[in-house]
Amino acid sequence: MKSTRRGFLRGTVVGATALSTTSCSESLHTEKSTAPQGPPAGEDRVRVDTAVNGQDTTLEVGPDDSALHAVREQLDLTGCKHGCGHGACGACTMQLDGTPVATCLLPATSLHGRKVTTVEGIATGGTLASVQRAFMAEDGLQCGYCTPGFIVESEAFVRRWRAEHGAKEPDRETVAEALSGHLCRCAAYEGIYRAVQGACAGRFDHGPAKAERHDAREKVTGAAKYTVDVKLPGMLHARALHSPHGHAAIKSIDWTAALAIPGVRGIVDLMQGRTSIRHAGQEIVALAAVDETIAAQAVAAVKIEYDVKTPALSIPEARAEGAPAVYPRRKGRKSAPNASEGPLLPEAWDGNVRGPLKFLSKSKGKAVRKLDDARDSGTAVEGTWTTAAQCHTTLEPHAAVAHWPTEDSLVVHLSTQAVRACAEDLAERFGLRHDAVTVLSNYIGAGFGGKGKLESEAIIATELARVCGAPVRYVLERREELMIGGYRPGTQLDLAAAVDDDGELAVVAKSYSNSGVAVGHTVTPLWRMLYPGAPKRLEDIDVVTHTPPGKPFRGPGGPQAYWALEQAVDELAHARGEDPLAMRHRWDPNPARQPLYKWAEGIDAWRNRAKPGADKGRFRRGVGLAFGTWFVFCSPKTRVQVETGPDGIVVSTACQDIGNGTRTVLANAVAEQLGVAASDVTVKVGDSRFVPGPTSAGSRTVSSLVPACVVACDALKEELFDDAKDRLSLRGAVATTRGVEHEGGIVPWSKLAETSPPLSVVGRRPKDKGGYFLPPVGGVAFEKYTSASMQIVEIEVDTRLGKTRAVQTWGGFGVGKLVSPQLARSQAAGGILQAISYTLYEERRLAPGRGYLLTAGLEDYRLMGMGDVPQMHIHFHEEGYENIPQRSAGLGEIVTLAPPAAIGNAMFNAVGWRPKDLPLRPDHVLKGIRG
Amino acid sequence: MIVFPTTLEEAQASKGTIRAGGTELAERRRLPGLGGDLVDLRDTAGLDELRFAADGTLRIGAGHRIANVGSNAEIRAVYPGFAEAVGGLATPQIRAVATMAGNLLQRTRCWYFRAPETGDRCFKRGGNMCSARAGDHLYHACFDLGSCVSVHPSSIGMAMLAYDGLVDVAPGGLRSVSDLLGDGTNASADNALKPGELVTALVLPPPQAGEHSAYFRAISRARSEWPLVEVLVRLVVVDGVIRDAAIAMGGVAPVPLRASVSEAKLLGKAPDAAAFAAAAQAATVGSAPLPMTGYKLELVVGSVLEALERAAERDPVVLPAPVNKLPRTSQETR
Ligand SMILES: Cc1cc2nc3c(=O)[nH]c(=O)nc-3n(C[C@H](O)[C@H](O)[C@H](O)COP(=O)(O)OP(=O)(O)OC[C@H]3O[C@@H](n4cnc5c(N)ncnc54)[C@H](O)[C@@H]3O)c2cc1C
Ligand code: FES
Ligand code: FES
Repeated sequence: MKSTRRGFLRGTVVGATALSTTSCSESLHTEKSTAPQGPPAGEDRVRVDTAVNGQDTTLEVGPDDSALHAVREQLDLTGCKHGCGHGACGACTMQLDGTPVATCLLPATSLHGRKVTTVEGIATGGTLASVQRAFMAEDGLQCGYCTPGFIVESEAFVRRWRAEHGAKEPDRETVAEALSGHLCRCAAYEGIYRAVQGACAGRFDHGPAKAERHDAREKVTGAAKYTVDVKLPGMLHARALHSPHGHAAIKSIDWTAALAIPGVRGIVDLMQGRTSIRHAGQEIVALAAVDETIAAQAVAAVKIEYDVKTPALSIPEARAEGAPAVYPRRKGRKSAPNASEGPLLPEAWDGNVRGPLKFLSKSKGKAVRKLDDARDSGTAVEGTWTTAAQCHTTLEPHAAVAHWPTEDSLVVHLSTQAVRACAEDLAERFGLRHDAVTVLSNYIGAGFGGKGKLESEAIIATELARVCGAPVRYVLERREELMIGGYRPGTQLDLAAAVDDDGELAVVAKSYSNSGVAVGHTVTPLWRMLYPGAPKRLEDIDVVTHTPPGKPFRGPGGPQAYWALEQAVDELAHARGEDPLAMRHRWDPNPARQPLYKWAEGIDAWRNRAKPGADKGRFRRGVGLAFGTWFVFCSPKTRVQVETGPDGIVVSTACQDIGNGTRTVLANAVAEQLGVAASDVTVKVGDSRFVPGPTSAGSRTVSSLVPACVVACDALKEELFDDAKDRLSLRGAVATTRGVEHEGGIVPWSKLAETSPPLSVVGRRPKDKGGYFLPPVGGVAFEKYTSASMQIVEIEVDTRLGKTRAVQTWGGFGVGKLVSPQLARSQAAGGILQAISYTLYEERRLAPGRGYLLTAGLEDYRLMGMGDVPQMHIHFHEEGYENIPQRSAGLGEIVTLAPPAAIGNAMFNAVGWRPKDLPLRPDHVLKGIRG
Repeated sequence: MIVFPTTLEEAQASKGTIRAGGTELAERRRLPGLGGDLVDLRDTAGLDELRFAADGTLRIGAGHRIANVGSNAEIRAVYPGFAEAVGGLATPQIRAVATMAGNLLQRTRCWYFRAPETGDRCFKRGGNMCSARAGDHLYHACFDLGSCVSVHPSSIGMAMLAYDGLVDVAPGGLRSVSDLLGDGTNASADNALKPGELVTALVLPPPQAGEHSAYFRAISRARSEWPLVEVLVRLVVVDGVIRDAAIAMGGVAPVPLRASVSEAKLLGKAPDAAAFAAAAQAATVGSAPLPMTGYKLELVVGSVLEALERAAERDPVVLPAPVNKLPRTSQETR
């Protein structure tokens, strides 16, 4: 075997387990196939005559090829997407003779003699269909990955509806039924309702296509190219062999048979001579072949002998006496993946337990004394709350396409939230110069924190591309994505709270996090930040298990923290007979939340809520409220470049748009500064070669980019002014917000930009007035603010069947100035809905005693659908944050923190039972209400 | 090898796995070792009839798309419960291509059966154990019939059972749906069809005068979820008295079940709350829940009650008009 590695050995694969040091019997590296190449012989191909988007076409397909695969691969129509591969998400929907069908399960042979319409065929002769205009105008999309499926389905529905009912608006139930086969992980459902109802009612029959979202048109037409759509000449397809066992030692690996399969090009050993398997799904070897089928066959032909051991899968199992150790040796612990976004602090280990981390406590002793007193007087509220692992489940899975244009330069198309950081890390890992690595991520099918770092898919594709000397594409299947794509760690939260005679709060709480083989997940910062004056004894404890590594997930730690704390606070208010808002107000110094009290008090459903358990009918309504608090971060090193020239005004930065609206925010900022239409601004992101931009995480995109963008625009205006003065010989010229005023009138900035010679300026994110709360760590600064939310949810519980439904929600947020009110609302709605989905439906389940994934598809891993969406009211308070340039705090995370607790409190209000365990499955609820 | 027989005879003579809509098979064939030759019914004539016979019996060709049956106005009028069960399963984009027989003959959705990691230990994959029994069986049977504890996936099978439906098999002819699906004790199969046998049609006897029917599915979300429990109820009410009752339940056992004790309790009673409550309670007679499926008993009681109430609230069904009146539905998606 020839070792061809460079760089690869320098680290372990992020996301896979770090591995023990015992050597394998053979030394395994990478190997290139010497088997005969070329297409496999003898496989039967079937001729299929079909018409796609009005064009007669002949396809040659395999008997088991899906229609989706054939159309995407052979016709290069990549608009329709592979989301789940088993009929549950609808991303692959095409029309077959006008009827929408799921094409991921449809044999390609069934296209014979049929008319197929993909999303690319929905617009006719360059004119968008009314549904496309409707989705654009109503912002019925975020990342856009599910959008083609929704468009194809909705177009057929609107056509049918109009034929039967004319231009009348259907009710929400009708729309929910029609779109019941579609899932949107970003939860753009609100906008989708408005779009489909509006299109039916004829509101989008005429007029130009307008959108606030800058890249909406590309997304509704299928033109947006995601990483999974990238196709390079000679591209190979990679698959990995994932461990079926949760805990094992590898005795031997033999890939001879795999490498002998015609069409297989190369293989890479991901164990690096180590033998420990620490979680099911761990990538052991990866190989590349000329197509996916051969790659899958080859993976099946790799022979591995395991010494299978008992895994510790849950917090109780891992903490039990004599539990199998995940990291039996000190050295292994050092390589444990980091489940957080920050650096890991050194902490003590005891078996599978790491920590506790206590430094976020405040007046520990006082807190404990107060709790003891309260216990004595019977006024303490205490309990154990638990939360399930929530998979990120981005509809676009982790995906990478890597190629080496030369021996020492690398280009990786990557579905990532961090083009720049990934490029840097790839350069480090492969020993390349920073400017020799390019990471491209034009469109991203969402991230939610699960794509924030360099991970194994990029490394595998890169390594195989080098070994094989050809571009390599590696895309996780849905099953794999749900297994190793990331999840919000499950927690066990032991929390006790009390209010003393002076009405002051005290908290003693411990959080046990199960981030699998990863460590560093924290809950205590969130406990500390809300009601910061109260004495608190807080501990964060990692319990490592033989399960895949947890990752940061939108508001890491927050939903769990408030699930326990805000329910305990509600219970205290109830026990004391105090108004829950007034009681919280006493402890709440956060200026961002102050204006929200009045707003909440004005909500009838909250004001007029019944006493807990007052409703005695079968369907019981309840209303609950909870608070959330989040950090305000920025990346002080952010740069934004603004150029004028033949392409008009171009703004660029090495950031990316993951559906959050980065493009829109930049376009709007430039538009406002230069007095041009946002749609006339060209935005370039998703390329690591641009000036440094932030990672799209930690709600820092807007607060980093907009100030930098404004600085760049100011600089540009200066240059335009100088140029104008001289070139146009303006007399008495002064620069104003609108343009250059002179004796003869005013020349607007837009005009000057059009006529000036090409200019290029770079703006740097200015410091906050008064500096930061902490000096920047790892390129991120904590600003001297915390953002604030208030969430109210009304639920309905069917006591006969244990089903809980969110009926109505009110979200109030103090996050400063909104750069795009429509997109801010979409973000907020998406975050709230995702949190409701987490509370009511989502749960990863692993095979007990073994550790492999049971909820391995979107049928068993349940995401909220159209029909589960409550009526939503969203309120923003835009004042405050004076010391942040441009006054925008982020909002991607704050919106998702409080809904679980609000639902918990609503449950108590509805049925008099307080839920402790997430999710609120019917069996939990039945058990709870029956007592 | 794949063949596209054009006649039933040719299809029967061809060797390999039968493929109809392919929506279930496609996923299963991705599992290790479950490939093999295919007999695709795409071009096979004679599988798409839809007609009422002179005595009111309905024949639905095996290859009929589920969507067309669920939305058929006549079927909805004559067999409302059946139409609801058919029209509400899976998702619209699946129903548009999946076939009636494919639904009946699909294999279990048990997450152990579908996991590549389970390997061939599972009864239904040729092994000799049930991983779910000792493992995670949250969504499994609450009527434990012995060996395999998965639940039968077919909503149409459950619905047919309530109608004492028949299937036409070539060769062999008509057999009852309960014969086809078996009694649930054969852990290695989800139905009793043998290689070389082909389902050609589903047959529903005519409803009775005074019949009311309704279908209900207990799920955790609003739509598009495999049932935790599903129930179809038929009540024949004459002069304010229940003369006949049929209750079928799915999601509860390796095969759809009839709640015969509940049915018996309803006979001769007025269709009122007391009778319904007693019948619903009796639906769990014979149940044997697993450690994690006790909650399903409550869902069984609730779902039977729900379906009974819904059926009773409705007008009686329309009796089928004689002979071939039913037009063949336009085969939009065939
Ligand atoms: C997201 C999702 C949700 C679903 N929810 C439900 C649900 O709630 N309830 C429910 O019942 N189903 C549900 N299904 C399953 C779906 O209904 C089946 O996949 C579908 O009915 C199978 O039909 P098909 O024609 O595609 O069968 P195929 O996949 O072609 O075949 C299925 C099986 O039937 C055999 N077969 C097909 N036709 C014949 C014939 N004429 N004679 C002999 N053997 C034959 C095949 O050999 C194969 O073994 C769901 C599916 C998905 C993807
Ligand atoms: S990819 Fe086809 S339904 Fe999800
Ligand atoms: S916009 Fe629907 S999944 Fe992202």
